[in-house]
Amino acid sequence: MDKEQRCVSLSVHPSRGLMDEKFIVLVQKVLPGFQLTIHASYHCEDGNSWEAFAHYTADASGTVNVSQDTSVGGTYCGVEAMGLLWSLRPVPGSKPGLRLRKKNVQTPMEVTISVYQGHQTEGFVDQVPLASVLVERWYMAPGVRRIPVTEDGLTATLFLPAGPGPFPGILDLWGGGGQLVEYRAALLASHGFASLVLDYLTSKITMETGKMVDNQYFETAYRVLQQHPQILGSRIAMLGLSLGTSITFRMAVYSQVIKLRCVVCIGGSHVQPIDGSVKEILTFVSLNGSKVRFSEKNEMIWRDLLLPITTDPSFKVDMGRFQCPLMLVVGEDDQSWAAYDSAMDMKEMMERAGNSHLLTILSYPKTGHLIEPPYTPHFRASIFRKVGTREKFMVLWGGQTVEHSRAQEDAWKKILVFLRENLYGGTNPGATLLSHL
Amino acid sequence: MLRAGLSVKTLWQLMEMKTKTCLKVHGRMADLQHAMGAFRWMSSVRPAPVLTAAPVRALIDEQISIKGRFLPPNSPITLCSRMHSEDGDLWEAFAHYNTDASGSFSLTSDRSVGGSYTGCEPMGLFWGLHPPPGSREGLRLRKRNVETPYTVHVSLLKGHVSPSGGPITELAAVTTERSYMAPGVRRIDIRQNGIVGTLFLPPGPGPFPAMLDMWGMGGGLNEYRSALCASRGYASLSLAYFEHKDLPGPLRELNVGNEYFKSAFRLLQDHPQIVAERVGIVGLSFGVYLTLNLATQPGINPSCLICINGPMGRSHFLPGDKGEVKYWNYDERGYIAFRQISLPSNMAPEYKVKMEKINCPLMYIIGEDDLSSASTENADQIEEELRAAGKSHLFTRLSYPGAGHLIEPPYAPNARVTMWRIKPEKMVALFGGYDAPHAAAQEDAWRKILCFLESNLRG
Repeated sequence: MDKEQRCVSLSVHPSRGLMDEKFIVLVQKVLPGFQLTIHASYHCEDGNSWEAFAHYTADASGTVNVSQDTSVGGTYCGVEAMGLLWSLRPVPGSKPGLRLRKKNVQTPMEVTISVYQGHQTEGFVDQVPLASVLVERWYMAPGVRRIPVTEDGLTATLFLPAGPGPFPGILDLWGGGGQLVEYRAALLASHGFASLVLDYLTSKITMETGKMVDNQYFETAYRVLQQHPQILGSRIAMLGLSLGTSITFRMAVYSQVIKLRCVVCIGGSHVQPIDGSVKEILTFVSLNGSKVRFSEKNEMIWRDLLLPITTDPSFKVDMGRFQCPLMLVVGEDDQSWAAYDSAMDMKEMMERAGNSHLLTILSYPKTGHLIEPPYTPHFRASIFRKVGTREKFMVLWGGQTVEHSRAQEDAWKKILVFLRENLYGGTNPGATLLSHL
Repeated sequence: MLRAGLSVKTLWQLMEMKTKTCLKVHGRMADLQHAMGAFRWMSSVRPAPVLTAAPVRALIDEQISIKGRFLPPNSPITLCSRMHSEDGDLWEAFAHYNTDASGSFSLTSDRSVGGSYTGCEPMGLFWGLHPPPGSREGLRLRKRNVETPYTVHVSLLKGHVSPSGGPITELAAVTTERSYMAPGVRRIDIRQNGIVGTLFLPPGPGPFPAMLDMWGMGGGLNEYRSALCASRGYASLSLAYFEHKDLPGPLRELNVGNEYFKSAFRLLQDHPQIVAERVGIVGLSFGVYLTLNLATQPGINPSCLICINGPMGRSHFLPGDKGEVKYWNYDERGYIAFRQISLPSNMAPEYKVKMEKINCPLMYIIGEDDLSSASTENADQIEEELRAAGKSHLFTRLSYPGAGHLIEPPYAPNARVTMWRIKPEKMVALFGGYDAPHAAAQEDAWRKILCFLESNLRG
């Protein structure tokens, strides 16, 4: 073995971090000017393999610091501290339309980071790297408790932060794919928010009876949060993505039971029939099915289903009645929902009604529909199975990888600040109303 | 913005609702501490203050930054750390702080004004851990299973209180996990060629530089320093040589000789993932004698040696053996300081290592309050003999006032006193060292050890 290979030092700090935590990848003790490739490899729970890589040249001290140095090629370019994660893509030969999502949030994502000699683009699996380390990325901080919730007909999971509480609460809703997607709620709990993720499309009740849940289902979920002894009933928020956004708007405005401290809505719309519930929203959307378009790669584009934004008030949630701070997160290249257009319409409604001071819009160019917690790979399209059918489609979500990844990082940071300010802050610290009781 | 519209009636309703649910809720809240906390806060409209630790999953030698927010300004608080050892003993530390004008605190910048430690000590809640009053005597915190982390629960309490092992009412809490093994480090049991030990390999293809790792006459097999070395890029073999069930001959006797230690060294050199020319040796206590003795064997050429608080020779008896009893000093509790026996003047001449045969850099680490080993005197002897042989340039001395015998990887509590033997009779040994200077010594020594290994095994 030659001297370079013996000396190469590779470290990633922290070696065990949360999914939204940045790390520092450092290569040391190579010769100055040495060309190398840093490679990331991940094997999914579903058996698929993902990889990312970048080309660097060591500086005069024989060091490459991914947070400071420029990648000159690979799955990302430029100075990108977390590029090795967000630019992960399925290895050559994989099935098309894959999506990287962790189902089991109680174990970490294990990523292997390696250094190879030279600027390489393929065949990593057949070579011996100069050095290699393993990095753990966790959705759950130690002490966070995961509690399945099945009372009152709910299909949900509650994540409680470590400690006695009381904690503010978040009701977390995902979109039209259904299932229980736990990772965002787990991560929110790791940041001090008791979070309840709710399955409202493929819940046990729906699967058994064939009937969609109604508005009361969401109010029941809210009550679970409100009545939990370790959750502060007066500090509950809702966070929705895609179809979950639609539900969130309607609950925030029309429910007599649900009283929210703040709301975050990602990639969704207020356009929906204001009577009825989930079933009515889904029916309404599919009525416009003729507006589905296809890209040149035959990917389904659902964006136009809600366009143009209607002027009929019985098909739009009355945003003028919103009473708490609202953050809208939209990708300007969202090909799945007309989120940007909806956001502009909502802004207009709220300006007319005089409550637009409650509204914050985060709008990101070249960003697609699925704005998720940061540092997981972006994919412009993926295989999607709509609930209630056995068919799978290739759906276009939109977004360009670099911009979308930056948007995820920025949006998540701002979402956490927004949630902290509204759910933790907002009172004079120490001046509690009745704490002496 | 506090909702001015929140009426007293609503608040009472809230409280009533919570009382009812509290009485129902149960099994999810098995922890008495949490129940007490919830009852106390149930009338408040504020969320609990926030306590954070970063990184929350750390290696043993990494600093953890503990902070708190959303507390009343300029108010007294107590931080309390608790963990259970593998034997089930409770270990605890606590410290008194005051929040600043914004109701926050940070252990990396604030000063403790009382408790297990005072002053600015970011890691005091870890190295200041002690069994609470009333616990078994002479406990020593040592991780046997290095594949799992230490889980340390850190609580935030109101006011300046002294927990003393009893129930506490938490305002907030955070759980930290501290590991000896980085992800990807491989642990391999070694039982070949008569060698009994555990090999730790860093992640990756290698080849790696390596260390042979030996402890003292406590016997058994301590894996944790090796595991941590591997987590820092050095393959490491923890070697058992005394009082281990897989070693030949009667327990309580040293049944292995020079050939055993040479085989262990060669095992490292011959390993396909280890660089044969980059193998060093580290020893603590009696392990120092073994380190120096091995380094002077023909055909053994280590790249570097690290010696911590141990002798460069021995008597005819084994340390701890009753034959040495005339050298032991007892304190008023009947605890034993072994120190005198390891004075060079008390060593059998044929067992003193010939230091002129050492050909590689040697770092000797001294705890000046070591009551078990005459470390300073041995360091002096080694230094003198190397100087006489024209090899002073090989010698590095680190000497720490107030530090004791067990200078280990950082942020672990010191055992000033330890249960040495239970059979045939109870013996409690004095190891020395005071918490704060010992902790500082461990932190500084480890950093210098890693630099020393870097220059000698990777330079």
